[in-house]
Amino acid sequence: MGGTASNLPKELLSEYQELTFLTKQEINEAHKKFCQLQARENGPNERVSMQNILTLPELKSNPFRERVCHVFSTSDRKDGSLSFEDFLDLLSAFSDSATLEIKSHYAFRIFDFDDDGTLDSEDLKKLVNCLTGETDDARLTLEEMRQLIGNVSPSHRGQTAIRSASLTQTRFLLQILEESDIDKDGTVNLSEFQHVISRSPDFVSSFKIVL
Amino acid sequence: MVGLVFTGYRSVHIVSYYYDISPYGSQRSLRLRKVPAEDTSAVQFDWASTPENAEEPDEPRNLRELPLHMGLKRAVWQVQKMRVPVVSRWGSWRIKQSKTFRHFCEIAKEVLSYLVPWKKGIQKIGGHFGGGVQSYFLFLRFLVILNFLSFLLIAAFVLIPSIVFRSIGFNSSIPLSVNLTSVDECLQYDPKPDPLAVFYTYFLDLVSGTGFMEYSYLFYGYYHNTMVESKGFSYNIPLAYLLTAAFYFIFCLICMIIRMGNVACAVVAKGGGAVGGYSMLVFTGWDHGLQGDRAAKHKQNNLRYQLQVDLEEERLQRKAASLTLGQAFALYALRGFLNLVVLALIGGTFYGIAEVTKFSQKTTGFNRLLLQYLPSIVITTSNFVVPLLCDKIALLEKHSPSTTVILALLRAVFLRLVSLGVLLYSLWEQITCNGDTSSADCTPCGYNYEQYKCWETRVGQEMYKLTLFDFLITIATLILVEFPRRITVDHCSCKLAQWVGRQEFLVPTNVLALVYSQTVVWTGALFSPLLPLINTVKFILFFYCKKITLFQNCQPALRTFRSTSSNFFFLLVLLFGWMLASVVLIYSVAKIHPSHGCGPFRFSPSMWHVVPEAIDMLTSTSKDFLIYIGSQKFSIPLFIFSCVLLCYMGALTSVYGKSVALLKSQCKLEQRDKQFLVRQIEELNATMQNEEPQRPQRDTERFYQTEQQWNGHNNYAFIPDEDPRAY
Repeated sequence: MGGTASNLPKELLSEYQELTFLTKQEINEAHKKFCQLQARENGPNERVSMQNILTLPELKSNPFRERVCHVFSTSDRKDGSLSFEDFLDLLSAFSDSATLEIKSHYAFRIFDFDDDGTLDSEDLKKLVNCLTGETDDARLTLEEMRQLIGNVSPSHRGQTAIRSASLTQTRFLLQILEESDIDKDGTVNLSEFQHVISRSPDFVSSFKIVL
Repeated sequence: MVGLVFTGYRSVHIVSYYYDISPYGSQRSLRLRKVPAEDTSAVQFDWASTPENAEEPDEPRNLRELPLHMGLKRAVWQVQKMRVPVVSRWGSWRIKQSKTFRHFCEIAKEVLSYLVPWKKGIQKIGGHFGGGVQSYFLFLRFLVILNFLSFLLIAAFVLIPSIVFRSIGFNSSIPLSVNLTSVDECLQYDPKPDPLAVFYTYFLDLVSGTGFMEYSYLFYGYYHNTMVESKGFSYNIPLAYLLTAAFYFIFCLICMIIRMGNVACAVVAKGGGAVGGYSMLVFTGWDHGLQGDRAAKHKQNNLRYQLQVDLEEERLQRKAASLTLGQAFALYALRGFLNLVVLALIGGTFYGIAEVTKFSQKTTGFNRLLLQYLPSIVITTSNFVVPLLCDKIALLEKHSPSTTVILALLRAVFLRLVSLGVLLYSLWEQITCNGDTSSADCTPCGYNYEQYKCWETRVGQEMYKLTLFDFLITIATLILVEFPRRITVDHCSCKLAQWVGRQEFLVPTNVLALVYSQTVVWTGALFSPLLPLINTVKFILFFYCKKITLFQNCQPALRTFRSTSSNFFFLLVLLFGWMLASVVLIYSVAKIHPSHGCGPFRFSPSMWHVVPEAIDMLTSTSKDFLIYIGSQKFSIPLFIFSCVLLCYMGALTSVYGKSVALLKSQCKLEQRDKQFLVRQIEELNATMQNEEPQRPQRDTERFYQTEQQWNGHNNYAFIPDEDPRAY
C-alpha cells in the first residue's frame, strides 16, 4: 500500500506502472498527495476518509465527487474511503492514456446512483440535476419542457416504475431514453451507454482528472 | 479463487459487467428464477485459460484495461505470470523485442513531456475556463513548436553556412555562361544605409524593414549564391536555400496532417450527426477537469444553456419545416439579398486593399512610415469591422444558432485569407507589370526594375510589416481596450458598463488571428528566412499576454465551443492558409525572374533553375533515378494507387457503418425475443400457480433472498447454497 512518506519502493512502483495507466511521475505525485491527505486523518490509517479526499481541489467542485469515491472505494464499510491503491485506480481511470472502454465503464458506474447495474429514470433524473445545478430555478422551465413533448410518444416502458415529482421532467427523461435505449426496456445498460459515448468525440478529453 | 469470491458480490457484479455481454435490466425477471449459486459461478474470469497464441504483446495493456480494482488486477497478473506459455525461440525473441520497444516508447514519452512547455499553465486554463479556451492555447503551443523547429531547420541549412562562408570570405561566384552585358543596369542594387542618418531613422528602419534592416540576414537580398567546392566538401547555397524552403513547407504539412489525423479519428467516429443530441449532452457533458466552484457553477449554467439551445434549434427546425410557400420564398429572398450585401462588403474591402497597395508602393513622400504601413492598416481594420457587420447581418438571416456561428466563421476566414491574397496579387501586378514581361517597364530585367531593385526583399518586407503590425495591434488592443474595459466595468456602476459587461474570450476570432499570422509567415518565409524566428518570439509573447488577459479581464463565455470538432476546423483553416502560401511559393520559384542584383539566385533565369543544374552535376545513375522519379512514368501509377487506396478506405467505412446498424437492429430483436420468453414464463407460472397453490410462498422467499444478494454488496451472511427458511 503506501510506503514511507518519502518514496515508494522500486518494485512496487513498477508494479503500479504495469497495472495502471499512470507514468512513474504521476504515481509519485499521487503518493505525495495521498500522504498529505493521510496526515490529516485522526490517527494512523491506511485509508483516507471521504471528507479528506474531497478536499482535493480537483474533486472539490465536481458534482459527482461522492459517487466517484463510492465507485472506487474497496472499503468494507461502504463509506467511500480510499486506500492508496483505490486512489491510483481512480487516477488511472481518469488519466490521459486510459482507453475509451475503461472510461465509459467507470462513467457508467458513477452515473448509476443506485448501483443496480442499469441507468433507470431515477438515475437519469439525479444525473440531470447534478449537471444543471440542483436549485429550483435552475431546472428547465415548463415552456421548454413542453417543447420536448411534441414529438415524443410515450411507448411501453417495461417494468421500470417512473416515480418523479415533475411530469415535464419525466417527458425530458423519456426523450433521453428514446434516443439511447436501443432495446426499449426502459433503462440504459452498459452497452447502450457505451454506444452513445463512442459517438462523442469530447468524452475522452473531458473525462480527465490530472493532479 | 476464494479471494475473488470473498471480496464480495460487488466483484462478481463488476467482472460480469466486463465479460458478460447480456444486458441486466430485463433479465432481472429471468434471474429471479435461477438458483443464486449458478449466478456466482457466472464469474467469468477464466483462470484456467491458456493463451492461444504464445505471443501476446498486449498482455500488460489488457491488464490495465480490466475494470477491476488493484487487488484483483494483481491476482490476475500473478496468474498470468504463473502461466508458462510454450513458445518457440522466434516467439520469445519477438516478445522480448516488443517489451524493449514498449519500454523505449515510455522513456521517450517521459523525455518529451519534460520538453513540452507550459503544461501546468494550460491545465490551469482548462480548469478555469473549460475545454474550448484550452484548445486555443493548445493550438498556440503547437504553432510555437512548429515555428521553432522550422527555424532550426532554416538555421542549420541556410543561415549558419551563409554566416560561415561570409566570415571565411567566399564571395559569390559568377558562372561563365551568363551573358552579363545586356543586363548591366539590372545589377545595381545598393541598399547600404546612409552612415549620416539621423537617429530616429533607425527606429523607422526597424519597424519597416528598410535601411540597416534591409541588408541583413533577415531578407533574401543579403544571401549570396556561394557554391563552395573544396577537398571533397561541397555546399551549394542557392540549392540549399530552395530545398530548405521546400522541406519547410513539407514539414509543416506533415505536422498538420498528423495532428489532424488524431483529431479526425474522433470526429469521424461521431457519425450520426445530431441524432442522440440530448443523451450525448447528458452523458458526456461534464468536464471533470474543471476546478473551483466558480468554474463548476459556470459549467452547470452552460449545460443548462446548451439544453435550452438544443430545444431552440429543434423549435426553429420545426418552424422551418412548417413554413408556407410564400414565407419560405420571402425568407430565401432575404437571405440571398443579405448574402449579396456581405459579398459587396467583402468585395469593397478587396478593392480598397488593392488600391492602397498600389498607392503605397509608388509614393516615397514625407510620411513614409504611415504610407508604408497603409496596406497593413487597411487589412487589420477591415478584419475588425467587416466581421462585426457580418455578425449583425447574420442575426437578420434567422438561421439556427450553430449555423450562424459556422457561417460567421467561414465569412471571417474568407475575408482574412483572401485579403492577404489580394495584397499579394496587387504586389505581383506591380512587380511583373501585370504578367506582361515584354512591356516597357519590365523589358531589360524581366521584372519592374525601376520600382523593385530587389523585389524579393520588398515582398519579404511587406510580410515583415504585416507580422509586426499584427503584433503591435494585439498588444495595443490589450492595453488600450481590454484593461480599461475591465476597470470600467468593475469600478463604475452605471448601467451602460453593466450592460457591456466583462470581455468574453472568443475562441474562434483568436484562432483565426493565429491562422492569419501563420499564413503570413509561410508566404514570407522564402523571402525572409528569419521570419519563423520572429514569429516564434511573437507567439510566445502572445501566449503570456493572452493568458494574462484571460485571467484578469475575461469572463468565461456562455456559449462554448465543442472543442474536438472545432479543433478539426481550425486545423482545416490552417491547411487552407498553407495552400495559399504554397501557391505563392510555387509561382515565385517557377515563373518570376529572380532579381539580378541581389540574392542567391541572381544569375539564374528562375529560382527553380538551380535544381536541374545541380542534378546535371550528379553521377549518371543518381541522375537517371531522379529523372525517373520526376517523370510521368512514376507519378501516374502512384496517383492511381493512391486513388485505389482511398476507395478502399471509403468502402471499409461504409461497411462498418452498415454492420453497426445491423447490430443495433439485432439488439432490438433480441430484446423482443426476451420479452416474449418472459411473458411465456409468466403465463406458465400462472398456470402452475393455479395447479399448485402451496408453492408460491417458497418462490417469494427466494425472490427476497436473491434481491438481498443482488443489491446488498457484502452480504455473505447469505450463504448461496443454503435452503431458505422452511415455512
